[in-house]
Amino acid sequence: MSGTNRSTPVASQLSGVLSSTSSGAIAILILVCVLATSQSSSFLSLDNGFNIASQMVFVLLLALGTTIVLITGGIDLSVGSVMGLTAGVVAYLVSQGLPLGVAMLAAVAVGALLGLVNGLIITKLGLPDFIATLAMLGVARGLLFLWTEGTPFIGYMSKPYYVIGGLERPFGYLTIPIMVAMVATFAVFAVLKYTAFGRHCYGVGSSSDAARRSGVRVPRIRVLAYVVSGLLAGVAGVLLAGQTTAVAPDLGSGYELQAIAAAIIGGAALSGGRGHALGAVMGTLILAATANAMNISGVSAVWQPVVVGFVLLLSVILDRLTEKQRGRSAHLPSAPAVATAH
Amino acid sequence: MSVESNNELASARAQETSDKKPVLEAVGVGKRYPGVVALDDVSISLRGGEVHALLGENGAGKSTLIGILSGISAPGSGELRLDGEKQEFTNAAQAQNLGITTIYQEQSLAPDLTGLQNIFLGREPRRRGLFGRALLDEKAMRSRVAPLLEEFGLTVAELNQPAGSLGALKQHALQILKALAFDARVVILDEPTSGLADHERLSLFDHMRRLRDRGVALLWVTHRLDELFGLADVITVLRDGRHVAAVSPDTETPETLVRLMVGRETPPGVSGASSRAKRWTGAADEILRLEGLSRGVLLDDINLSVRRGEILGIAGIAGAGRTELARAILGADRIDGGQIHMNGRQVRIRSPRDAYRHGIAIVPEERKSQAVFGDFSLTKNISISDLRRTSTARLVIDRRAERKQANEYVDKLGVRTSGVSQKIRNLSGGNQQKVVVARCLFSGPSLLLFDEPTQGIDVAAKSDVYRLIYDFVDSGGAAIVISSELPELLRVSDRILVMREGRIVGEVVVGGDADLGSEEGVLAEKIMAMAARGGAA
Repeated sequence: MSGTNRSTPVASQLSGVLSSTSSGAIAILILVCVLATSQSSSFLSLDNGFNIASQMVFVLLLALGTTIVLITGGIDLSVGSVMGLTAGVVAYLVSQGLPLGVAMLAAVAVGALLGLVNGLIITKLGLPDFIATLAMLGVARGLLFLWTEGTPFIGYMSKPYYVIGGLERPFGYLTIPIMVAMVATFAVFAVLKYTAFGRHCYGVGSSSDAARRSGVRVPRIRVLAYVVSGLLAGVAGVLLAGQTTAVAPDLGSGYELQAIAAAIIGGAALSGGRGHALGAVMGTLILAATANAMNISGVSAVWQPVVVGFVLLLSVILDRLTEKQRGRSAHLPSAPAVATAH
Repeated sequence: MSVESNNELASARAQETSDKKPVLEAVGVGKRYPGVVALDDVSISLRGGEVHALLGENGAGKSTLIGILSGISAPGSGELRLDGEKQEFTNAAQAQNLGITTIYQEQSLAPDLTGLQNIFLGREPRRRGLFGRALLDEKAMRSRVAPLLEEFGLTVAELNQPAGSLGALKQHALQILKALAFDARVVILDEPTSGLADHERLSLFDHMRRLRDRGVALLWVTHRLDELFGLADVITVLRDGRHVAAVSPDTETPETLVRLMVGRETPPGVSGASSRAKRWTGAADEILRLEGLSRGVLLDDINLSVRRGEILGIAGIAGAGRTELARAILGADRIDGGQIHMNGRQVRIRSPRDAYRHGIAIVPEERKSQAVFGDFSLTKNISISDLRRTSTARLVIDRRAERKQANEYVDKLGVRTSGVSQKIRNLSGGNQQKVVVARCLFSGPSLLLFDEPTQGIDVAAKSDVYRLIYDFVDSGGAAIVISSELPELLRVSDRILVMREGRIVGEVVVGGDADLGSEEGVLAEKIMAMAARGGAA
């Protein structure tokens, strides 16, 4: 959790994060790579790497927000719907003649606003996170359906938007979505690691009582976590609309589960207090690499959810096993209760 | 060198406060909740360099008073004064910024954060960076804590570990550092010694003295009257939300304090003498026998037996293997070797359910997390250990029979409640404990295992729990009592086994006379010596 300060900070932190939270994820990633390479030599090519990166961008942005929310001990089921709705906002506003920049800002703001609503419902009305964000999932999705009247928004694309969506690539492999994802990853990493807000997220998720008694404004931290999650969903929506060139009413549905799976594969805990930005990257990478590997080796797409489910289970089980070996579970305060359960 | 300067600092601060002006005062504070007067016109003043003890039974208003002093709840009437000036806290953070820190009974640390992160949680020093002062300044954190580490028994390595991996004493030390790192002038300790072994308690008292010597005003809530003497400077006693007395420990004894707390004569069984009518005589059938029980390095060749009518005490410091022994008997942990005999027959116990089937029931240490179902009624809490018994055709729960059973136990065990359909979480700790005992009795056990039976419950309820243990063994059961409170063990046990490093290192037979007097002290010393080291006879 706290990387040592001696060797180069980033390197040691990287290894610290990787070894402490996602040993299972690394093992699986290697496994996937080996299997995929044995099936098709093109898996490890630069072009295919780019494919994977392009595919994972959207889930990654959502997974980063989800990771923050999970760290605070919450859960955000609404990110897929919010992403779809914000994509609709861009498409609609542009087709109404607004400048692209304004439309994009408005969409991101809508994402953040919906996150704010989530957070306020949870903290002010005291609703469980699961219920509040499940409701938001339904509301945002329903709004997009009503708004589009069931037919996709189209005809909003312009030359700059092709660049922003990554369909045109003036910088080679480094498309705008990939760059945005990299910046977002770094930002979330830095915020969680080096800022008081990040520290307070861990504190709130680890023990909200202790955090409250330490003077942390717990409700504010939780609300902010949802705002960040919504904001990142908004960013993802803007990019996604540019890539799909059409906003279907069901755009982004199911993404929330991928985001949660990615965060958890990356070492976040549903019980709060744990999770890392780089873990979210790892988790998303595994999901994307798995899907990609199945594609290029000709496995039917129908199998993908099944495999993703197993990958999720496997990574968490591997994590548990290595954790036990390190004896970390021995010091958990609830160890006796846990052991009594079997 | 830093130690020296610290000492100078301490003496300087002591000088400053030697005139003992109150730092924090509550003047005539009151607090009402719907239907209850939790606190009524209570005044207390905390002075720098003074240890102020706060006594009272559960429900006397201690928690409410602490809540008000630490800014968690606002007083309904009366006022708080800081340095003589009226002060209103709107939240805990504000009180903390004014130098009032509270160290709670439940550990108020975030287990996943490191020690260092916990110390500064909520008030992290920032450094200037790209975005103003948003970045954490870890160097400043380390340098501010460094001079205090050694004094409070912590190492740099421990600061970097997750707080949840540290022991109770170290966690207390962390909380104390947390207070000091922010120049706390008032430190409120809510039952800090519960869950600590005897030698750890002594270390904690040393920590408290160091705080006092730095001129900090301490408010100390405890249930253990024996702790007060030699450390507390003033004792305030609350009863039923009212201020009863502010006394000096020099003029009091535990008995007089108990009288102040309960407002009546000392309940039987509290004052050292045993209230148990008949002592165990030694000749009876064996209920439980362990032969060579082992589990890794935690339990090493444990042999013991408990007979009908006997109360066997298990003593030892934290980590000696007492809890592991209980868990092994209960089948909560898989044992590596050895045999368990119940009522003369060898049995295999691989889960708590097996244990229940063989007539072993446990009153666990952690009441809140391991014993009670907070949202269940008393009835449901009791009947859950053997639902089939109150079920028609062993299938459909007969709710009337269930309630009738519960009523009988509530009467028999003297649970103070508004009715058996009340939720258990609304009962005091002592009454909850009685319900847990009732649940165990309901399963019809021949052996009851008590792990820290009176932790966190008040004096009067303690003696009630002791009586339940006596009644159980007198009616033909056997009991094992694990406790880190030696006086408790000496009071209830017929025989005490001492554990150290996973082994049984000694045995003490407690005399049959009701009045033990000085003999108790001798036994206590003997046990402590064995528990600490080298006393294997």
